[in-house]
Amino acid sequence: MFDPEKMTPEQKAKAFEMAKQEMEYRVDLFNRLSASCFDKCIEKRFKDGDLNTGENSCVDRCAAKYWQVVGIVGQMLGGSAMQGGMQ
Amino acid sequence: GRGSGGARGAAGAARRLEGRRREGIMNPADLDGLPDGDKQVMMDMIEGMQTRDSLQLYNRLVERCFRSCIDSFRRKNLDSGEEKCVVKCCEKFLKHSQRVGLRFAELNQGAEQQMQEMLQQQAAAAAAAQGK
Repeated sequence: MFDPEKMTPEQKAKAFEMAKQEMEYRVDLFNRLSASCFDKCIEKRFKDGDLNTGENSCVDRCAAKYWQVVGIVGQMLGGSAMQGGMQ
Repeated sequence: GRGSGGARGAAGAARRLEGRRREGIMNPADLDGLPDGDKQVMMDMIEGMQTRDSLQLYNRLVERCFRSCIDSFRRKNLDSGEEKCVVKCCEKFLKHSQRVGLRFAELNQGAEQQMQEMLQQQAAAAAAAQGK
């Protein structure tokens, strides 16, 4: 798609900017997913420092569902404009 | 006491966490095709983002565990129950975050594969349409 050898400095700067924005998006996505699933799945009494089996399963399913919501919302917001590099 | 850990503690903990999370966010192999100068720019960018994200994680985790564990202000020092709660809160969140990182990497990989299959299908359809 993009050949770094053939790009002008302006095109390259734009490509770096896009890459940076996509990475920031992914980091933000991860943080929000992690926070949401912690709130929904982890018992708040902190009996010990480990996750029990129920919490583990909940986290796995929560992440999968969150991901599906990302897909649906991406489509609702206008398909190609959003999904250029996302997901 | 524990309060004086500050930025030093943050840097160490953040490095440990980021190492585990990195593959979930970005596949290091994506950088392989780039010329060395570009690769360095990207790596500097990534490192800067990771540092910033680590410091934010520190603050967010403090706030989360403070809110979960500390409820009374009759004394100015934490009692042992509050201290244990904060420790467990951190352990739990970091383990949770680790697990989420694994799932995130799997989901990312799955999405990439889907994208590649779709592109291949489109390419094949385009070739067929041209009568090749």
